[in-house]
Amino acid sequence: MKREELIQKWLDHALSPEELEAFKQLDDYEELTKMQTALQYFKAPEVDVNSAYNTVTTTKKETSKSTTWLMPLLKIAAILVIGFGTYFYTTLPTLTTHETVVAHKTRVELPDTSEVMLNAVSSVSFDKDAWTNKREVNLNGEAYFKVAKGKTFSVLTDDGIVTVLGTEFNVKQRNDLFEVFCYEGSVKVTHNDKNVVLSPGESYGILNGKEFRYEEENLKEPTWIRNESSFKSLPLQEVIQEFERQYNVTVEAKNIDTSQIVTGSFTHTNIDTALQSITLPFNLKYQKKQNSIILKRD
Amino acid sequence: MPKSLQDTICNEVLFSNFFKKHYQSLYSYLYYKFGDYLNPEDKTQEAFTKLWQNCGKVKPEKAKSYVFTIGNNLMLNEVKHHKVVLQYQKIKPKSHTNENPEFLMQEQEYLQKLQRAIGNLTESERTAFLMNRVEGKRHKEIAAILEISTKAVEKRIYRALAKLREDIEEL
Repeated sequence: MKREELIQKWLDHALSPEELEAFKQLDDYEELTKMQTALQYFKAPEVDVNSAYNTVTTTKKETSKSTTWLMPLLKIAAILVIGFGTYFYTTLPTLTTHETVVAHKTRVELPDTSEVMLNAVSSVSFDKDAWTNKREVNLNGEAYFKVAKGKTFSVLTDDGIVTVLGTEFNVKQRNDLFEVFCYEGSVKVTHNDKNVVLSPGESYGILNGKEFRYEEENLKEPTWIRNESSFKSLPLQEVIQEFERQYNVTVEAKNIDTSQIVTGSFTHTNIDTALQSITLPFNLKYQKKQNSIILKRD
Repeated sequence: MPKSLQDTICNEVLFSNFFKKHYQSLYSYLYYKFGDYLNPEDKTQEAFTKLWQNCGKVKPEKAKSYVFTIGNNLMLNEVKHHKVVLQYQKIKPKSHTNENPEFLMQEQEYLQKLQRAIGNLTESERTAFLMNRVEGKRHKEIAAILEISTKAVEKRIYRALAKLREDIEEL
């Protein structure tokens, strides 16, 4: 038998006894056995199968239980997040907001050159992108609008909606007071499904849920634009609140009936003059302390 | 073809038998192929853990190639950066008195040469060769484990032997 064949058979552990004898006669025999002995040092170490088995079978309990119910939940959560994200991103309007703080007024120009004068502690917001289709402004507080001619223009407040075509008007929405005054053109006020149309000089107001109207008056613009707040037949507390907004102070009215009706005005430029114009008609006295003012009976 | 009684390997007895039959075998395979350096035991354990966790998806007749493939892939992920050095087990030299120090040194030298030569083999040659020489497996058995033909195993082993002899001669 050929040498190579013998080695092949040896490699396959398939030598017959006679062949083994022949193999031993080969020149290579010694070298091959030497290698064979040495190779035993390279045997893979024995692993502890039993302890490995325990480790593997216990890991299942820890991992699989938590993943089986968590995975579907995570999938759903991910879909919801993506869904809502895109929904809000694509559908929610990008609102531009302008705000004023106490004792500040500001002028806001709308995309179509309509103008908004914003009184103290008020805010307007509108959607710039949708402006050409929908002229809509959200208002909180008091503002005077000079609307450029064009499509319907709406002012949305918590108390009602004011709709116009092109005109000048003032909207005041403070706590329990809602007041619209028309200066030019015509204005439609919608409050609780009720529509009222105002002509120049007319006004419409709601105080504590009750409607009221002022007498017609010929004014060009609200007085607060010229730094003077004026009131007609409104409770004293409305005046005090407006005073606080204009001067950044707190007013304490002790033992005073703040529901008394006031007609009058106060300036925004001089606190003493303003206080006098509020207190004198009622025979009240005032004390100034840092950021608060105390009103007392004389 | 015999139809398997169990659809999956989830059955505990089935898995336990499978585990005891193939755990050492997979470990040795990874050890011969990649050496001790990259912790083949961890990979073996991980492969079997994966099988146990996904036992519902694996048919019993596919389980063996499942763990071998996973073990192999886990090793490959790590092996990229490292050259394999097959560490031979440090077995203490026999305390024969008639072996003089020179002989012992020669033996050590020979082992080092052999180690280097084994490291120079290709993975497939080394795996087949060591399974054959060290574990005493026949060509047919190795072919079954590696899922290749007996002829291919034969060739690999013979080529490996030739390479080793040549390398040791040179060194």
